[in-house]
Amino acid sequence: MYQFNYVKAKSLKEAGRLLASHGEAKLVAGGMTLIPTLKMRLARPSHLVDITQLAELQGIKLKAGRLEVGAATRHHQVAASAVVRKAIPALAQLASVIGDPQVRNRGTLGGSVANNDPAADYPAAVLGLGATIVTTQREIAADDFFQGMFATALKDGEIIVRVVFPVAKRAAYAKFAHPASGYAMTAVFVAQTGDGVRVAVTGAGPGVFRWKKAEAALAKSPKAAALDGVALDSSGFNSDIHADAAYRANLVRVMAKRAVAKLGRK
Amino acid sequence: MAHTAHHHFPAPKMRLEDTRLITGSGKYAADWDLKGQLHGYFLRADRAHAEIVAIDAGAALKHPGVVAIFTGEDAVRAGYVNAPHALNFPGKNGMKTRAPKRPALAHGRIRFVGEAVALVVAESVHAAQDAAELLQVQYRDLPAVVSPEAALAPGAPQLHDDVPGNMPLETEVGNAAAVEQAIAGAAHVTRLKMEVTRVAPSPMEPRACTVVHDANADSYTLHVCSQGYTTLRAQLSAYTGVPRDKLNFEVRDVGGGFGQRTLAYPEYCALMIAARATARPVRWVSTRSEGFMTDSHGRANIISGELALDKAGKILAMRLDWVNDMGSYLGPGAMGHIRNTSSCMTGVYRIPALYANYRVALTNTTPVAAYRGAGRPDISYVVERLVSQAAAELKVDAAELRRRNFIPTDAFPYTTATGSVYENADLPGLLDQALKLADWKGFAGRRKKSEKAGKLRGIGISTVIENTGAGNAPKDDIQIDLDARGEVTVHTVSKAQGHSHETTFAAIVAAALQIPIERVHVRQCMPDMQHVLTGNHTGGSRSTVGAGSVCHLAALKVIEQGKPLAALELGVEPSQVEYAKGAFRTRESRRAVKLADLAKGKTFTVAAEGKFGSTQPNGCHIVEVEVDPDTGATDIVSYCAVDDCGVVINHAVVAGQLHGGVVQGVGQVLGEQVVYDRASGQMLTASFMDYCMPRAGIVRGIRGEEHPTPSKVSPLGVKGMGESGCTASLPAATNAVIDALRPLGIDRLDMPLTPATVWHAIQSAKEKAQ
Amino acid sequence: MAKVTLTVNGVKHTRKVEDRALLVNVLREDLGLTGTHIGCDTSQCGCCTVTLDGRAVKSCSVLAVQANGSKVTTIEGLAKNGKLHPVQRAFAECHGLQCGFCTPGMIMATVGMLKDNPNPTEDEIIHGLEGNLCRCTGYINIIKAVKKSAKLMRGRAR
Repeated sequence: MYQFNYVKAKSLKEAGRLLASHGEAKLVAGGMTLIPTLKMRLARPSHLVDITQLAELQGIKLKAGRLEVGAATRHHQVAASAVVRKAIPALAQLASVIGDPQVRNRGTLGGSVANNDPAADYPAAVLGLGATIVTTQREIAADDFFQGMFATALKDGEIIVRVVFPVAKRAAYAKFAHPASGYAMTAVFVAQTGDGVRVAVTGAGPGVFRWKKAEAALAKSPKAAALDGVALDSSGFNSDIHADAAYRANLVRVMAKRAVAKLGRK
Repeated sequence: MAHTAHHHFPAPKMRLEDTRLITGSGKYAADWDLKGQLHGYFLRADRAHAEIVAIDAGAALKHPGVVAIFTGEDAVRAGYVNAPHALNFPGKNGMKTRAPKRPALAHGRIRFVGEAVALVVAESVHAAQDAAELLQVQYRDLPAVVSPEAALAPGAPQLHDDVPGNMPLETEVGNAAAVEQAIAGAAHVTRLKMEVTRVAPSPMEPRACTVVHDANADSYTLHVCSQGYTTLRAQLSAYTGVPRDKLNFEVRDVGGGFGQRTLAYPEYCALMIAARATARPVRWVSTRSEGFMTDSHGRANIISGELALDKAGKILAMRLDWVNDMGSYLGPGAMGHIRNTSSCMTGVYRIPALYANYRVALTNTTPVAAYRGAGRPDISYVVERLVSQAAAELKVDAAELRRRNFIPTDAFPYTTATGSVYENADLPGLLDQALKLADWKGFAGRRKKSEKAGKLRGIGISTVIENTGAGNAPKDDIQIDLDARGEVTVHTVSKAQGHSHETTFAAIVAAALQIPIERVHVRQCMPDMQHVLTGNHTGGSRSTVGAGSVCHLAALKVIEQGKPLAALELGVEPSQVEYAKGAFRTRESRRAVKLADLAKGKTFTVAAEGKFGSTQPNGCHIVEVEVDPDTGATDIVSYCAVDDCGVVINHAVVAGQLHGGVVQGVGQVLGEQVVYDRASGQMLTASFMDYCMPRAGIVRGIRGEEHPTPSKVSPLGVKGMGESGCTASLPAATNAVIDALRPLGIDRLDMPLTPATVWHAIQSAKEKAQ
Repeated sequence: MAKVTLTVNGVKHTRKVEDRALLVNVLREDLGLTGTHIGCDTSQCGCCTVTLDGRAVKSCSVLAVQANGSKVTTIEGLAKNGKLHPVQRAFAECHGLQCGFCTPGMIMATVGMLKDNPNPTEDEIIHGLEGNLCRCTGYINIIKAVKKSAKLMRGRAR
């Protein structure tokens, strides 16, 4: 690790101020991605601004059919939350398969969403449920938030405060984990919402995306078999030593079908 | 088992080493914290093949905290260039091994990603690493070759000027003409090309070494993780020219080895240079990423095999053509890839004619050395895959074809066609027990059930044998010290890296002396014994066969030498003295002389030694898998293992060794592999993020049984078994997956059988079928 | 530099450390608690697992300053008055360790797991050990050890 200055922010305002005054400052929450990155000397921030314990970023609440989860909520808290398990069990289940127990005890929702790793789990739920990302500056729809590999709509100095998930009628997450890293080799979140079916895919492409043709097919027939033969453009899919694009494309369909089958079981 | 029946080996509820290890009181190499120590950081090559044009250390030397920087110039000046190797086989047509030099720090040229270019020594690790980034190395890139077959091809980039064609050795074993004739006249020939992939042994403890130089004696002490100081000392001495008696070691707890912790690595030599030059202890702890790039790799063999059979399914001959990838330099650990694969070439079968040709290749990759089995899993993989493939082609049950070709029980001792002598085994009995345990006959029903659930089920079998226990040192030796409290200390060179020596050796001594095991304390590699004991390090499954047997002999010697002393004390003739349960008595008197009494004046010391030959543990493993055709993922749904390890000292320990070996083999079959980018030579699996280490649940349980035929090689009747697990699991697990896929017409698949690989194979088969 | 106060195994320590110091380095180097091991540099192996305010974390992925004011339990703090913790006992009695390098992390991960789920199924145990690597045991006896730990902790064992 390179040298940096660690600052524990006392408020969101202070955190924003620190980010604004130090161009090379970075936020740290659970640190499950950032600290390994620093250890490999792949980043060189001047300051780390710790926002994990800020009161504004805590809490899980169900309000008017919407589930609000504070950005600093750790994965294990979401996985274990009675409120989440009742409102959107698929979200709790997703949180329970992120990384490993030690990672879930540290990692946060806001950190995962802001980092937007193309193989992360949370972005699939955020996009699949059509959630809203509430920041220090505005509210951003999930459809506008994720912008490809490690890229989001967040501006410099903008901090995620909470994520607001509409409570879906039914939702399910099916993940094929990478055998070494535990990230999603490919995973699919399917949600039946008031506005129709949403299918979000993580791990397969350069960033989380919606498989809209599948959504259309499922709107007609909410059964796994409806996905047979639905076109899937895999041209930009990831290809690496573990899985090429064709295999990932297959996994998208298989995991989507499994998620749909899980929906039926609820 | 008559000659060992009198032994009762105590098995404590927990191992004697456990209390230390479960309370955080172990001492591993990175736990040393020496006064005044400096910290070393290696700058490593970021490319696979290049000339080093210049190194500018100016800015780095000025960095705060930096004490010194060493490069290849220093290594050459010190003469630390003669990396030892053990490829001492007679070459084909009189060829002699061409061994390249390897300066402890790269000099003039780097040949693999991660090769150490410079050693920065500073007051802190951070300072050393910060300074290393300021080192300016100017390279002139050269084309790299990472595939051994490509390296041997004409026109390949050449690694070493003195190793033409990148081939340091070509050698052969067996009778080429007899095999040729048998193949020509055979009713059936099975042909299969196989790769036993390159893997990273990955003991959980990263390498670490702190070197202290004593200027008065001009001697060195290395605080290091090692499988035993004798081999390390010999290799280091050969590498550096420092006399053996100037090399001392502090080796306490070792966090796994698997062959990878035997070697004298160049880093240790560079740290010696640094410790001497700075007159302070110099400490280096490897990161895991460094470890992937610079700790020796395992396996890495490509084999084309031919198995000739007659109409009745009797094997007539086998011919193998090997390409052995040894990485960028020859090391001392890879000789087993030739020795063990030729000495066990016949497997468990009576094969009249055998021939193998070996071409050793150098590539722009990490050097290869022994990894659990050191060639034994490779040869068992080759033979057992050929036999299962032949059975499928001949439409004969895979177990039945094996039975037809087994070396008969009454044919032991059996001399193989490559000249090895197998002592004993009961192969038909072993097979029967395994078939019953695994319910071989019920497989068809289970396959149907899986089919209904949409899964492809397969069953795989291996029947294997391996040469273990012999060792390279001229003898194994033990010293027993008995003190006035009656405590027994057993000194050995053999160093456990998880093997449980403290428990097993103590049990052997306690059994012989008939005393509670708690009174026996095993001390391994202690500094004050390092110029007294010169036996084998731990490796090649030899510790219990070698050091363990000498523990037994030494304990008997305590009794033998104690008798005359006890006789004096008791005032009788030595012949009248009997020993039992820690005391010498005469039949007539009630008086006793206790073991402790022998040491009243001073420690009672007994030394013993012995030389034992090779033992041949053998086993039959039967694996069942379910393949999910939608994802290509394989689940191990049943694992049965029947093993002949001879007499077993501690059943829990032996089962634990088998578990670990089995899962290392299964890990390799299902996912582990070191992968290099073919064009750039960059390693693509340099962390646990990409290297598929097996995790909990990969094999949920192993139903294991013993089928012992005690060895007479050792007075204990034991056979070396530390490597048996992976020797049997590598072929058994692969055969199971192939069996699951064979109905689709797939039979040529090679490890690692990752989900993607299996899924693609299924897709291709489906396309072909259409 | 930062001033960090940690309560480690019940003892309060205050140290000045670099902002970039990892919790594991402070435990090992500043406090001499070398029972917590470092087995990788990418947060995969779990050898460095300790509990931080009661929850299992990888101390190689937590800055010491982040842990300021927290309670840390390491492998050295499990046994009380010379009496082994049930998880320690279970690992030893099930031969759930060989070389012992991964063991402190395995044990601390198990302690964390059983706190949330005192009666885990085999599937839950396997899921709960996803953050820990072992190269020696094949995990078979580790799974047994976790089962036995649960049993011992529930006080139903002999």
